[in-house]
Formats: sequence, C-alpha cells, structure tokens
Amino acid sequence: MTTSPAIATESLSKNYGKLVAVDRVSFAVPSGSVFGLLGPNGAGKTTIIKLLTGLSEMTSGSATVAGFDVGRDPMHVKQRVGWVASEVILDDDLSGWQNLWLQAQLQRLDDWQGRAEQLLEYFELATRRKEKVGTYSTGMRKRLEIALALLHQPEVIFLDEPTIGLDPNVRHMLWDLIEGVNTQFGVTMLLTSHYIEEADALCDRVAIIDHGRFVAIGTPDELKRRVKEDFIELETSEAVTPDRLAAIPGVTRVENEGRSWVLRVTSAEEVLPHLFQALRTDEIRRINVEKPSLETVFRDITGRRLEAAGSDVQDFRKFYVNMRRARR
Amino acid sequence: MSALTRTVTVPALAEGRSDGHVGQVRQFSGLIARELLKTFRNPWVIAITLVQPFMWLAFFGGMMSGLPTSELDTFLLHAPPGTSYLAFLLPGVLSTGMLSVGMFGAMSSIQDKRFGFMKRILITPTSKATVYLAKALGSAMRGLVQIPVMLCAAAAFGVRLQGSPLGWAAWVAGLVCLGLGFSAFFLAITATSTDWQTPGVIANFITMPLMFASGAMFPTSIYPGWMRSIADVNPVGYSAQLSRSVLTFGQFSGSDALYLGYLALFAATMIVLGTFLASRYLKAE
Repeated sequence: MTTSPAIATESLSKNYGKLVAVDRVSFAVPSGSVFGLLGPNGAGKTTIIKLLTGLSEMTSGSATVAGFDVGRDPMHVKQRVGWVASEVILDDDLSGWQNLWLQAQLQRLDDWQGRAEQLLEYFELATRRKEKVGTYSTGMRKRLEIALALLHQPEVIFLDEPTIGLDPNVRHMLWDLIEGVNTQFGVTMLLTSHYIEEADALCDRVAIIDHGRFVAIGTPDELKRRVKEDFIELETSEAVTPDRLAAIPGVTRVENEGRSWVLRVTSAEEVLPHLFQALRTDEIRRINVEKPSLETVFRDITGRRLEAAGSDVQDFRKFYVNMRRARR
Repeated sequence: MSALTRTVTVPALAEGRSDGHVGQVRQFSGLIARELLKTFRNPWVIAITLVQPFMWLAFFGGMMSGLPTSELDTFLLHAPPGTSYLAFLLPGVLSTGMLSVGMFGAMSSIQDKRFGFMKRILITPTSKATVYLAKALGSAMRGLVQIPVMLCAAAAFGVRLQGSPLGWAAWVAGLVCLGLGFSAFFLAITATSTDWQTPGVIANFITMPLMFASGAMFPTSIYPGWMRSIADVNPVGYSAQLSRSVLTFGQFSGSDALYLGYLALFAATMIVLGTFLASRYLKAE
C-alpha cells in the first residue's frame, strides 16, 4: 500500500527578477517523517517554506501539501499546516492564552479550549497562561510558538531555523521537544537549519541546498557515506609547502584555504602519525580532524564550509536589495 | 527545563471549523479584538490619541476665545448669538482627529509586517481582505475613544452641548465613517510598505490641507475661492458641518442627512477600493 506524501514538489522555482532564489527543486516528504533543508543563509530554505505555505507565489513548478495544490488551494493548505518561525513571532502584548485564542479565531476553530489547555500543560506553560508573553523566557516563547502551531491539528509543521540564536541548553531542549511532537502527534515536519548536528539529530531525510538548488538528498547516513575520506584542517607556518603535505602517505588531496590547509585523507587515524613525522611541531599552529559528517558532505559537493558559505552569503545584503528592487 | 511532561494526552479537536462567512466573521472579530486589546494595553497610545485634540481645544480654542465677543459673533456668522468659539471649534477638532486615526492604523499594519506578525496571520486561512478590513475598523474604533473625553473636556471649558438622540447617533455615525474612510485610505496606500516613515509622511502631506480647507477651524465663508472648492469635496468639512449642526446648533436637518450620506459614500468608496488593492498587494513582510 502506498500513501501520498505529505509534501511533494515538482521543479519548484522562485525568481525575484533576475535573481533565482529557488531553482527547480523536486522532493517528496512521506507522512509522519522529519525532512530537513540544510544550507547556508540565503540558500533558499526560507523561500521554500514561504512557497509551500502560500506566503509567496511560485514562479514555476508545482507543489502539494497535505494533499492540496499550493497554487490552486492555498486556503486548504493553510488549514493543514503549522509554522514555527526562526525569530519568535508572538503578540507580546497579549497573554499566552490570548495568543492561543487568536490563533483559534484565525484558524476558525469551534472547540479549541480543551486542546489549548492540554497543549499548555504539555509544554509546561499552564501556570503562566494569563501572563503577558513579553514576560516569558526565550525557551517558553519557543514552546508557546510550537503550541500555536499544533493547536489546529496540522498535518504538516514547518520549522524555520527553530533553534537559531538559542543557547545550547535551550537548543537541546527544543530538539527533544521536536522529536516528541513528531512521535506523539504524528505530524510531518519540514525543518530548515544551518546547524549540521541539528539536521543529523532530528531528520529522517535531509536535502542539502546551495544557491537555491538541491545538491544532495538522502538520509543523514546515506549522505555521510558519500564522503569516503576524512578531512584534516591545518594551520601552519609559512615554511610548509603543498608538496611536503602531498607527500605524506594517505593524503589524497591538498587544498589551500586562506592561511590554512585542508587535507583529504583516507583515514585520519592512519595519516596523523605520518603527518607529525613530516612536520615539526613548531610548524603546526592548529589542527582539526573532521570525520564524515553533513558538513563534510556540503564541503565535498560545494568546495566550501557551510559556516563560511553562510557568512559570505553571496552578498546577502545585495541579495535582499535586489529582491526588493525586483518586487517593485 | 529538561524534563517535559510527556504523559499528557492532547485531545483532538471535537468539532472542527466554522466555514464560509461564519469562519470569516470569527477571523475578523479576532483581529479587531486584538487591535483593541493592544490599544488598551498601551496607555501611551490612548494618552496621545486623547491629548492631541484636547490640546487643540485648549491652546487654539483658548486663544481664539480671547477675542472680543462682538468680533466672534461677526466671525461665526450664522451661529446663535453668544456662541463661544470653543463650541464652534469642538466639532471641527473631533473631525480632524479622525485624520490621525488613519495614520495610526497604517502604522499598526507596518508594525505587524516588521515584527513578522503579518506572516503569522497570513499563514492561517485568513484572507488579505479580512486582515485589511479588521485593521481599518479597528483603528476607526480606536479613534472613537477620544469622543467622550473631548465632550467632558468641552463641558469643563463651559461649552453647552445641544442635540437630540437622533442627531447624536448621526454625528457618531458620521465620525465612524470618516475614521473608516481615512483608515481604509492610509492602509491601502501602505499595503506594500514596511517603512515606519511612510504613514507619517503621508499624514504630514494631507493633514494640513484637509484640516484648514474644511471649515473645521473657521467658517468656509471667509475662505478664498480655491480653498472653498477643496472644502466642497473634503469629507472632514462635511463631518465638521454635521457635528456642528448637532452639537452646537442642536439641529439635524435634511442637509445634515446629506452630509452623513456623503461621509458614508466616502467610507464605502475607500473600503471597496482599499479591499481590492489590499487583497492583491498586501505584503506579509
């Protein structure tokens, strides 16, 4: 028996004038699973969420969410999706309960109070329900936002960089929560992130996105298996040359990255003793070993680090300036 | 916060949703209630809304009231003998106060876009037209807050208010129409904007001509011809005329009913036009 996917896109594209924000993206997310979009800032992750939730109109292609065509039936889609923003978006002037009430009004729910009360209890917010949201801690606000997203029993929840800017404790608490919501409520989730470990920990499948295009898609393990080599990052004195590094047994490729070197090696454990023999300790200023991870997958495919790609963002500001101009 | 209570069973929704117009009314009323809740939770917004027209009454009205009575009687022309300038000015100030209501409505909309709340609204099955109409009515209702306070202030300044219940109902309806019309206008022209400054710039641009070319402050009979032409189509002037007939002269005649009709037409035109524009161009951010 086959069930239709909760999300399916076919050549989904979004252009802002000449700027291609999403470039012919096709994927399917089975019901009940967690799908991750991993990529640097400006890669097109949030734009894909906007397209799938009907907040933005696609330039070409098609998409269905919860069985409804996003272009033709956006209102039916909106009844069936929840959304957790990267920045917490709540009405700070209203109480937690009033925020839930407003969400119920906007979702046109008839009998929502019992569910709202239980959600507040589930997210441990029941005792603060009457207090203004402006007095809540960041973790509480995030939890309330997830409760809002769940209130109308959505089939799909979009989590846009759900833990960005949060401290590690709150981040891990939210991971725990997201896993719990997925298993307990059976909700399909699409989350975007540029945290490797987040995508690795939460997602059944991950698509790596760069410049609006999917460059790889699969389970985290499948993706990691694509990279058969380990990476050794080195910062050295100027006396070290590429030839010396390339001559070390087990080194398959030497790349220069600014002031540091990136060595691709068959096995870091085997190569490191040879490396310490080949270089004097005073020539090594910093060393870092990376075993296969989603980070190394991104690096293998794009030739850039995920974080570095996020910081340059291909002229991030320019991107938005162009986007605004194109909108006008 | 490490151990969340996972034993709680969250129930499914018992009944589901209200569809069609019932559902839209629910969304609309929710958004209006939010506007009002936000207003009354922010004492500064209330204070400024109230103080602004009161200052006109106190400073401008106080200054003009100092003129000799004979000059005022000549100046106010058809007013009953002994009518104070404050009594003449009060209806005009209440009408011009509705101009700022539109600006506040547009700023509230821009605030929602900038803080992302418009996205939260538009990601639900709420139409852009519903959001627009709720904003317009919500800000018009906020403008009505100033009425009772102004009336009390006027009474404290010694103004004797006239009028029948029918006249007062027509006067309030006229103010609602005026506030709705300007809210609808401001919201429509800022539908695509996220710039805080836009509503203020527009307000600065249109407030002075609409206020002075309206008969709100002075009788239009003393205006030059070109200003009188503006006053002939200016809804602020019609609202001031209607208010003055009811509050100052205690009348509600056929021509006052026409003024009310004009204000209703102004509000309806702006709302229809604004709804059309907002449903196409209202941006989430």
